[in-house]
Amino acid sequence: MNQDNFGVDTVSLAGPLEAKLQAVRESGFTQIMLSARDLVEHPGGEAAAISAVRRCGLRVTGFQLLRDFEGLPGHLHAYKLDIAKSLLGMCRALGSNVILACSSTSAHASGDPEVLARDLRKLATLAVPLGIRVAYEALSWGKHVNAIQQAVEIVTRADRANLGLALDSFHMLAAKTDPDDLDLVDPEKVFIVQLSDFMWQELPSREERINTARHFRVFPGEGVHGSEVLELVRRLDEMGYRGDYGFEVFNDDYAQLPAAFVAARARASVKWLTDQVSRRSLPVRRDRVRQPG
Amino acid sequence: MTTREPNPEPNNPLGIDGIEFIEYATSQPQAFGSVLRSMGFVPVARHRSREVMLYRQGTMNLIVNAHPDALPRLSAPAAIPEIKAVALRVRDAAFAWRHSQDLGAWEMPTRASAMELNIPGIHGVGETLIYFVDRYKDFSIYDVDFVPLPGTDARPLPLAGLHYFGVVQTIRSDRTTDWIEFYEQLFGFRVLPEGKFFGILPKGTLLESPCRKFYLQLLEPPPGSDDIVWEEGLLRIGLGAPDVRAAVRVLSERGVVFIDHGAVQPTEKGALTQVYLGGVTFELVVSHLRPGPSA
Repeated sequence: MNQDNFGVDTVSLAGPLEAKLQAVRESGFTQIMLSARDLVEHPGGEAAAISAVRRCGLRVTGFQLLRDFEGLPGHLHAYKLDIAKSLLGMCRALGSNVILACSSTSAHASGDPEVLARDLRKLATLAVPLGIRVAYEALSWGKHVNAIQQAVEIVTRADRANLGLALDSFHMLAAKTDPDDLDLVDPEKVFIVQLSDFMWQELPSREERINTARHFRVFPGEGVHGSEVLELVRRLDEMGYRGDYGFEVFNDDYAQLPAAFVAARARASVKWLTDQVSRRSLPVRRDRVRQPG
Repeated sequence: MTTREPNPEPNNPLGIDGIEFIEYATSQPQAFGSVLRSMGFVPVARHRSREVMLYRQGTMNLIVNAHPDALPRLSAPAAIPEIKAVALRVRDAAFAWRHSQDLGAWEMPTRASAMELNIPGIHGVGETLIYFVDRYKDFSIYDVDFVPLPGTDARPLPLAGLHYFGVVQTIRSDRTTDWIEFYEQLFGFRVLPEGKFFGILPKGTLLESPCRKFYLQLLEPPPGSDDIVWEEGLLRIGLGAPDVRAAVRVLSERGVVFIDHGAVQPTEKGALTQVYLGGVTFELVVSHLRPGPSA
């Protein structure tokens, strides 16, 4: 595991898109996770943003975010379908083959697992001709799906090859997810892992989770749940997950500091993670090597 | 209140009944027409308002589109002819279009002009379309949009019993399951068991249409082909022939050149033509399919 396994989400950085891309690249990263806002807020328009991303040399590991898609009835579903199609088109234009869809927070959304699976199946079918995989994430304040095991259940029920999971350490920590719940997860079905920590021991209320998630996340190694984040990465590594990790750190302080400063903290976080994960998992790997072939 | 019984979908929910036409786009319609004529296709009609020609051979309709906006999302056709659409015969085109979208197909903008038929279509692989056509028995879509060429037989017989056998689709690595599910879910295609294949070329994954009248072959890039440009799209059509050697003989006499060395030389199972116009090939496959419309 090294820095090539990690990327930075643009939501973690301040400034214009080009400055974010440059800061990430100059900090030694090779990948980046983009948001729809990076395109539509670009002063040169979407085409200029797409061009900047394609020229920057960073691999786009994902595109976010489709919200509140699944479970809606009638005209609400039709509306969200249009939104999903537009986002899928932007995702494709960026050369990203993963789109993030987070579990619905809508009061109008059905909780019927079959309805949720049916809608995600439809989203996955829409994504096939565009060469996109859908990574479904359990928001810790999702209306019906707010924990990993529920997301696994819906994704398993939908049963589409290009539909998988996005795991987010923040939501897992905020929801006090039992680490053993990861045993439910097929590593092949994890399409992206997003990492962050926070400064408080507990987030008991929905409002505290939302507020912290949007304003007070920090990089792994900077918060108070470092050992749990390490445990998550170590477990995923042992399970055979070899996909991408991204730092999704919504933080009001980082949002008013130079992108290069924040990207350097991201790089420091990579070092902190890889040093400790490698140290812990090396004996396991050594044992494997020793086995007679 | 509408009561819905929880019955399973039929195996052929859209009533697919074979291929109505295959559409190529090219900026070289004359040169490509010459290749098609050597393959036994006969130009039978011209579009009323566009630079589009209908070729026919037996049960096969083949459209060559050279119009500048050949397909909705494209600016102009490329010189190398490319397959841009496959039209499926279905029981009810409007139902097929709605049903596909309900399951996650992309609606594609239509391009009908005044007095022209509006053929509903959805997004297929790459930049291709899948059309739905339900007028193919008593009334033909070509009667409205096309003007017959004077002095030509509107129903030319096929050479050596040629008929549409299938379409070969290239896909990127690790995408076979995505595409199997796409065709299973939307149309009711079925994967043929491993080991069952036709012709002489790499088999990839074969899907059988729910009407059992044609096949789709999914091809991932071959191992060790990292430096080959391998885009997703429709690569070529397969033509069925009851007797491949007889078909090769007849076509060779008309000037068609078949690859005759290495692993793809003509056999009784199949044959592959040389590359025409920088990118077009035709594959022959032994077949006793009856591709005409169901009674």
